[in-house]
Amino acid sequence: MTLSRNPIDSQPDDEAPRRGGLRRMVAALSDLFRMRLDKSGHRVFMVAAGFTCIYALIAGRLVQLGLRPDPPTQLRRAAAEVSGIRPDIVDRNGTILATDIKTVSVFAEPRRIIDKDEAVELITAVLPDVNARELREKLGSRKGFVWVKREITPRQQQEVHRLGLPGVGFMPEHKRIYPNGPAAAHVLGSVNLDNVGIAGIEKYIDGQGLADLTMAGFARQSTDLKPIQLSIDLKVQHALRDEIAKGIEKYKAKAGAGMILDVTTGEVVALASLPDFDPNNPADALDPNRINRMAVGVFEMGSTFKALTVAMALDSGKININSTLDARNALRYGRFKIGDYHGTHRVLTVPEVFVHSSNIGTARMALTVGVPGHQAFLRKMGQLDRMRTELPESSEPIVPQRWGELNTMTIAFGHGLAVAPMQAVAAVGALVNGGMMMNPTFLRRTPEEALAKATRVIKPETSEALRYIMRLNAERGSASKAAVPGYFVGGKTGTAEKVIGGRYSKTRLFTTFMAIAPSDRPKYLFLTIYDEPQGLPETFGYATAAWNAGTTTGRVIERVAPLLGLPPRFEPPQLPFPVMARMGAWGTR
Amino acid sequence: MRRFLHLVAILALIGSALYAYRIKYDTIFLAEQVAKLKNRAAREREAIAVLRAEWQYSAKPDRVQALADRHLPDLQPGAIQQIARWSEIVARPVPVDSIGKKLEALGLGEPTNTPTASRSDARTPTTTGSIGRKP
Repeated sequence: MTLSRNPIDSQPDDEAPRRGGLRRMVAALSDLFRMRLDKSGHRVFMVAAGFTCIYALIAGRLVQLGLRPDPPTQLRRAAAEVSGIRPDIVDRNGTILATDIKTVSVFAEPRRIIDKDEAVELITAVLPDVNARELREKLGSRKGFVWVKREITPRQQQEVHRLGLPGVGFMPEHKRIYPNGPAAAHVLGSVNLDNVGIAGIEKYIDGQGLADLTMAGFARQSTDLKPIQLSIDLKVQHALRDEIAKGIEKYKAKAGAGMILDVTTGEVVALASLPDFDPNNPADALDPNRINRMAVGVFEMGSTFKALTVAMALDSGKININSTLDARNALRYGRFKIGDYHGTHRVLTVPEVFVHSSNIGTARMALTVGVPGHQAFLRKMGQLDRMRTELPESSEPIVPQRWGELNTMTIAFGHGLAVAPMQAVAAVGALVNGGMMMNPTFLRRTPEEALAKATRVIKPETSEALRYIMRLNAERGSASKAAVPGYFVGGKTGTAEKVIGGRYSKTRLFTTFMAIAPSDRPKYLFLTIYDEPQGLPETFGYATAAWNAGTTTGRVIERVAPLLGLPPRFEPPQLPFPVMARMGAWGTR
Repeated sequence: MRRFLHLVAILALIGSALYAYRIKYDTIFLAEQVAKLKNRAAREREAIAVLRAEWQYSAKPDRVQALADRHLPDLQPGAIQQIARWSEIVARPVPVDSIGKKLEALGLGEPTNTPTASRSDARTPTTTGSIGRKP
């Protein structure tokens, strides 16, 4: 037994601590590699646990990779630059006004192109309108992706494809097209090369969150997006534009514009401003002569503004329909003198003031209301603030900085306050529809929705009085040119002298005409304006509103009333203006 | 017994593996079909969009008006004078059988006996020869 003793034990005692450590290490090592079953249990467990962990990790990673969508490649990088999809724009009858079609664009990945000079040479041979130097610069850059040419034809695509250049590819893109050309151009606006709205309703659509949708990847194809339905009626729009174009040519006017408003809903049924542009070629829209004169231009509206003055005076209660106003002599204010174009030189009733378009009479009416009352009324009618519609383009009215009695007198007959014609249309619409002021809209709207947002600005009786005097003006006044039989039209002319070099010019006129149909229950309000129309032999040399804007409005009403579904009537309605008849207003007897 | 169970288990394993593979390949095939159909549907949709745009381009009011001006120069816009009231329309006169009245006046109003055809081909000819055909 002594021989079997471990020789280490016989070592001297002074070396014991060091040797003890070494022994324990050796023992632990030999323990690890000992093949005895009773001691290997926990080792097997550890190895198993280790492998389980590793495999669980691999399995988890595989599931993670499997769940992830396809990894983004070059396509994703390009997609960020590809023009986004847009919803169709349709008119109130569902006719397409703007739509997207697919086109193809050529792109290049400069890093993958082997011989850049050869590539430039070949590409410019096939696509002659690509600038070679610019393309060489683009290909020489360190970018991963550059456009070579946007929107090529299928034939060009075929030719580029045949070149077989590595690193040159095609990307399908959406191109916005406006099949109707310039019809409704000012309403639709246009888009840039990346299909982002830059004007009109197109810009409005982007502002409604379309851009965010596209960025988030929700809008991939046009079926994802609901078409935007406008209040515009394409046929009516075309008829209006056509008549105004003919009028501009006939009267040699610098410009012209027209608008049709549904006064029961505030919907703009048609809006034309000439000269206009083709939205397929948006660069034309930049010409300042092609602005939307209805919403962007501000003008002194002339006598059509008298409707507002009369409504204000009647609604204030200080004047009623039978009041008389002295128009015998010109109205003097300091060194200024207000006279009448169609001088009557007698005392006039309110309807007579309107029918004879008496500046003196309307100025006196405004004076009875006073300056603060006049301002408050015009503010209520939205004439002193910028009007906001869906169209991003709009202008601030030009309001006199110091508004004295003289200003009130001139503004009463439409001089001294320049507003966007659309603003005046909205106000007159409120005057004739029963007194509800509605903000004009270019989107479809029902009368209920419109009334929910409308505010009452004048009494219904005042509105009836306005309809009555407008009808009277069509029967025996200056608006007879637009009195198309069967539609019970009412109207008001307005001829403003343009300010040339700080003075009102007698020869450069801005003519306006507003008409309502039918006058007893107005549905539509028509406005036509001409900028500097000329007198013609057949107009006896006159260039005032009745001879040009009035005639055009008559033709427009004649042409679009059947399109709008206005039924013609053979007899004038029985007792169309009951309150006026009861009060025995001038002209009812 | 145990060996038999092993055999069954192995066969079941092979069987399920084959089944799984078939399912997998079927799925791949169907997924390809779905992708193809989706592609085709997208292409059709694009084609429809182009056609709709083209249709609107052809039917745009500018063009229609130009065509109407060229080919229908006699047409004019409708006016109220062209429309008549219901009450203005003359009532349609009671149909008068003038021939019948004449016959009656001649005393021939009574029905006559239709003569029977003696031969089957003795009918009124139903076809007519061409007269003076233009060269």
